[in-house]
Amino acid sequence: MALLAGVQFGGPLCSASAQEAFKEPEYSKYQVESGPITLEFWSWVGGLDQVVKQFEQAYPNIKVHVNNVGAGPQEYEKLQTAIKAGSGGPDVVQIEYDFLPSFIVTDGVLDMGKEGASDAKSYFVPWTWGQVSPDAKTVYGIPQDIGPLALLYNKKIFDQYGLTVPTTWDEFAKEAEKLNKASNGKVQMAEFYATTAPWFMGLVWADGGEFFKTSGDTWIQTLNSPEAEKVLSYWADLVKKKYVAALPGFTAEFYNAVGAGQIAASVEAAWGPGVTAASLNNRTSGDWRVAPLPQWSKGQQFRSGNWGGSCDSVTRQSKHPRAATLFSVWLNTAKGPVLNNWINYGIFPASIAGLASPELNQADKNPGKFCGGQNVAEVYAQASKAVNVDFAWSPWFAFVNDNFNKQFQAFLSGNATPKQVLDSWQNECLRNAKDDGYAVKGK
Amino acid sequence: MRQNRKTALLFLAPFLTVFVAFYLAPVCYAIYLSLFIRRRVGLGPAKEVFGGLENYIRAVQDTDFLNGLKNMFLFGVLQVPVMLGLAIALALLLDQSRGIFMKVCRTTFFMPYGIPTAIGALIWGYLYSPNLSPFNQILGALHLGSINFLSPGVILISIANIVTWTWTGYNMITLFAALQNIPKELYEAARVDGANRWDIVRSIKIPLLLPTLRLLFIFSVIGTSQLFTEAFVLRPLGYVADNITPNLYLYLTAARDANYSYAGAMAILLALLIFVLSGPFLRRVASS
Repeated sequence: MALLAGVQFGGPLCSASAQEAFKEPEYSKYQVESGPITLEFWSWVGGLDQVVKQFEQAYPNIKVHVNNVGAGPQEYEKLQTAIKAGSGGPDVVQIEYDFLPSFIVTDGVLDMGKEGASDAKSYFVPWTWGQVSPDAKTVYGIPQDIGPLALLYNKKIFDQYGLTVPTTWDEFAKEAEKLNKASNGKVQMAEFYATTAPWFMGLVWADGGEFFKTSGDTWIQTLNSPEAEKVLSYWADLVKKKYVAALPGFTAEFYNAVGAGQIAASVEAAWGPGVTAASLNNRTSGDWRVAPLPQWSKGQQFRSGNWGGSCDSVTRQSKHPRAATLFSVWLNTAKGPVLNNWINYGIFPASIAGLASPELNQADKNPGKFCGGQNVAEVYAQASKAVNVDFAWSPWFAFVNDNFNKQFQAFLSGNATPKQVLDSWQNECLRNAKDDGYAVKGK
Repeated sequence: MRQNRKTALLFLAPFLTVFVAFYLAPVCYAIYLSLFIRRRVGLGPAKEVFGGLENYIRAVQDTDFLNGLKNMFLFGVLQVPVMLGLAIALALLLDQSRGIFMKVCRTTFFMPYGIPTAIGALIWGYLYSPNLSPFNQILGALHLGSINFLSPGVILISIANIVTWTWTGYNMITLFAALQNIPKELYEAARVDGANRWDIVRSIKIPLLLPTLRLLFIFSVIGTSQLFTEAFVLRPLGYVADNITPNLYLYLTAARDANYSYAGAMAILLALLIFVLSGPFLRRVASS
């Protein structure tokens, strides 16, 4: 079946022979609504204007209007409002996996399985399908990208101070101390994303920890699991010693410190090198390298976690759910958009064919160029295979996400131990979810 | 008489239409929404069911909401007097001076009011970024350490500073205009009686400014209850508590947590509180 599709998929976009390595679904199976259609598409991925032109050429009756209404929470707040209002929302919308349940539970996103999207499952990295199809029946999004974790480090700084690339967290802490001493505290080893819970959660994920699951009709939330405590205590210690910075991420402040060589490394998701390169405006370009995520013990089975990554969902408001479904599938399985999104914006594909594509490795383009021509994709593709597939999120994640900042702030101002941070995080989020009517318990 | 009433209604119609569509209707809708609570069965979407006053009972016990109100009162008690005091001082100074210098000062002080709140907050956000802040660079050069303007203990003062920066000029202009309306004969008469400049300020200018001041005070207190933009814009730059102002908290409850009913209940409570607090002042203003 898979082979057959490979031979005959020659959809409107493909010249069959050149495409054989890049397996695409048969787009003609998606019967779209007739007449001229305009799809409103909310996404913060850069360079999409060019990408959708390829789609519009293939489907002349469909226009796609790309609208960047803000990244992450900024978009979600607008989307949640549009859902409540009953109109004003987009047809297709980019949503990160961790936030998807909060739109499923407000009945905002369509079960795309009804429009034939279930068939697309085999085209994606298995764990991503679990993220968009929590019950393995309904399909609430088409996986777009993934964010397996690796260590992005500034080789120039590492060379200057004679640091070796750590393979375990023990080594990482030792190198951090060495760097602190050698640089007189001027250069910090890494960044703890103090206002970005999913970063921390990705590291717990990499240690086999879980935060949410369901048991029958009840949610179970374990924000203060032993794994979470181990990971937070480790980082909190480094932050306390000032070996590691704890700046608010994605701010001018943070990128200024990175660009000025005050931060030597950072645990970054697959999209991280691309976003960092763009945010630094290519300052320090070529100085960076990517290494596999350090592990807790030597010789253990290699593990990584995931930070961010998103899918494209169709809203229940959409008047053209079929066209919207086709577009979402096309955007994330066709060679053109998948490769373009990686090169334009460092969006690391969730598509299996995309991950296997040799064209991800382009030394003269970002993020490869930013990393001195290194094959960045290879490191992250390896990391992606080491991600725990059963990890799940909850519908009240937006609250959990913000509440983490509050609790960690208490640690930074010296008012809480890492254990207290996690306990208050767990308790406040549990209380909020219960107040909101969820059947949820702690263990 | 009947004819008169019709004419009056006709003239009022444009205002009333807008007032009903964009003010009364949303308020009524918020009241309606606030009476519902969400019931969940299993893991599926919630059902909205009638809950009576349940959301209101939750709100008066919600420590986050109460903390927002506490900050609002702190603001009203500390920031508003400082701002109005500054505005009086500046207005009196401008009233004393003449010529081009006065005009330049007047425009300069008023300028921040012309900058959209979001833009102003963004500029201040940059000025507050711990490592980029020019204030901290100056403090550093003087070996005085640095201040994290966005840290939990300081953020409220940082926001108060933005609000003061924005609104002092506006209040100053209003007071200055009121000063211009004071008949010059009063000053002359006072001078004949041997009053010096300070006497004139104390016994004539300030007493005659009181009605305007009262109005500005009430506007400022209402403005305080609506504090949102500054906190919202500073949020991505660091940690700004969800409950720093009541409006930010209820926005997040609605747009982030999708709990519109509960947010509606808090909005109604907040409006009632302001109504009760500002009522007596407005009556005083109307009677004077």
